[in-house]
Parts: sequence; C-alpha cells; structure tokens
Amino acid sequence: MSAVTLSPTPVLTTDRLVLRAPVAADWPLFLDFTRDERSRFVRAAEMDDEKAWRGFGHVIGHWVLRGYGMFTITAKGDDRALGMAGPWFPAAWPEPEIGWSIWNAGAEGKGYAFEAASAVRDWARDSLGWTRFVSYIDRANTRSEALARRLGCTPDAAAATPGTEDVRAWRHPEGGAA
Amino acid sequence: MSLSQSFEALVPRLETPRLVLRAPRAADFDAYAVYLASERSRFTGGPMDRNLAWRAFGHVVGHWVLRGYGVFVIEDKVTGEALGTTGPFFPEGWPEPEIAWTLWQGEGRGIATEAALAARTWAYEALGWTTAISLILDGNTRSEALAARLGCVRESSVTHAQFGPAGIWRHPAADAQGAGMEAYA
Repeated sequence: MSAVTLSPTPVLTTDRLVLRAPVAADWPLFLDFTRDERSRFVRAAEMDDEKAWRGFGHVIGHWVLRGYGMFTITAKGDDRALGMAGPWFPAAWPEPEIGWSIWNAGAEGKGYAFEAASAVRDWARDSLGWTRFVSYIDRANTRSEALARRLGCTPDAAAATPGTEDVRAWRHPEGGAA
Repeated sequence: MSLSQSFEALVPRLETPRLVLRAPRAADFDAYAVYLASERSRFTGGPMDRNLAWRAFGHVVGHWVLRGYGVFVIEDKVTGEALGTTGPFFPEGWPEPEIAWTLWQGEGRGIATEAALAARTWAYEALGWTTAISLILDGNTRSEALAARLGCVRESSVTHAQFGPAGIWRHPAADAQGAGMEAYA
C-alpha cells in the first residue's frame, strides 16, 4: 500500500531553512529530544518513550484535525529535523499559539528558531488569517522568552494559560505582516 | 483537495455487511471524548478529560502517518454514526503489533466482532502480517470474550507500565484464517 502522509501541506522557505510537514522519519529525532534535559520546558513532567510517541502522533494528527500544525524545521540541503515551529491549537489551549522548539543542541544559538517562528507566524497571518494569538512559555525558559521578545511579544498577565501557573502567555503584536 | 480529504483518501475504506471502516475525522472527536470521559473506557486508558482525549485522538490520526497503518473508525452503514475504532495498532512500548478494538457505543450487537474481523483480514492481506496479538487489560471480560470469538488464545501475561496487568491474546495465523473471512475484505 502507499504511504500515508500529510498532503497537501505547505513548504516554507527562509534564508537558511526549509519548513515542511512532519514525517515518520522525524520520530527518532523527536524522541532524542524528549529524552534530553533540554526538552524540560515543553514536555510532560514524567516523560517516557511511550508518551513521546503519543505526543509525536498528536503533532502529526493535529494537522488533520485542524488543517494546520507544527512544521518540521530543517536546514536547506539537509532534510534532518532540527526542531519544529508552527500554529498550534490543541483542545486544552485557551487560544491559538505559535509554538517552537529546537530539538538538536547543535542547532541552537544560530537564530534558527527566530527565523522559523517568524516564517510560520507570517504564514499563520497570511494563510490562516490569524490576528490574535500568543506563545505559552515556561517562566524558567529564559531562552524562549528572549526569542518571544525578539518577535515583538509582551507578557499578557490577563490571558488564560493551559495547565500550570509556571507558564505565561506572550502576546504577539496584532497586524504584523500586511 | 483539503488535507483532511487527502488523508481520508490515503486511508483504505473497508466494508462489512453492516459497517464501514474508514479514516478518523475531526468530526469523530466528540463521540470519542464522550467515551473516554466515561467509566466504560477504564480498560483502554481512560477515563480522561476532553483535553487529554484530544491528544489521544491526535495520536490515533498520527499513528497512520508514523506506521502506514492504524485504527479505522467503525461507522454504522445505516445511521452514519461513529461507533468506535478497530485496526492494526503498534505504538511505542507495545510488545508487538496488535489488532485493537474499542466500541464507543452500540454494544451487544456483534459490531466489534464484525469490525475486528475485517480489520484483521486487512492486516493479513494488505499489510502482509503473518500473526497478530491483542493486548487486553485484566478484568476486561467482554473484550476477552470477543477475542475468544475471534479464535484468539491467551498465551501470556504482561504488566504495562502505564495501563497495568494485561493478557497477550494470539490470533489465528494468517494462513489459518477460516473460509468466510474473505467476505469481510
């Protein structure tokens, strides 16, 4: 039988990156990330490989259920997954968000997350018509907070958050790409 | 064609006398969440709230992309209602690939048997599986009775880290499937 893939899905290109829909081959790299302490701000407190599998299944299924979801971040010319970024709105979320994570430690510190998050935000505004949305960030995740600031976000104390009080909503500027 | 339409086209559609087995859809989620919120779901990972059910349903969909197969939604041919899921299922941590079944509603009519037989036949014929198990949590006597009707034999016990003690039920091998199964293919 033919493979079951997410299609048709957009491919976004930036200066250095190609952002595409997640595929089965991304799973081992996602798993590595969930086993790494670096994922502590974006995963369940008691993570194991089975939860990681179900979590990645949800990342993929979100596309079919919502019509959009997390793009896998790759460097141009190399299809290996470095992380993910995209519009994200599971049932537990009070409002839509732009999410991001860099899975590969070697891909940190290069501005990839900023480049990817900017591109998926433009896409959410232009193609999905999003105007008002947040990013949910753990208060201890200073790197992600710094990225949110670079994206022009400010903390929104009035916004509801999913789950624990450890997470704050960062409001993206409305309007943006015209 | 939209993403959801394309996904549905990539997932096979099976028919039995009373049922259609097809790709999971966003519109199925409410029935799934109601089932998972009920005590009836205690042998399939529940009960759980709607937020967790959403993630679980995302995985039901994503499993198809990750493995190339997954569980079908069982639809009543007459009413169009989504009654549950059945199909080949192999998430991380399973001892080996299984044929899974869950009835969200419509118990007591032989629906699960009819659906699971069709799903098993598809796994053997289309995926080339030669054997299959079903993992059934201890105490789930209705599911054990169904397994017995499908010709399965309980061959061993396991304790799943999250779900607890369970039996491994072995299905008749692909080459041992009796005549008549083809009627469901």
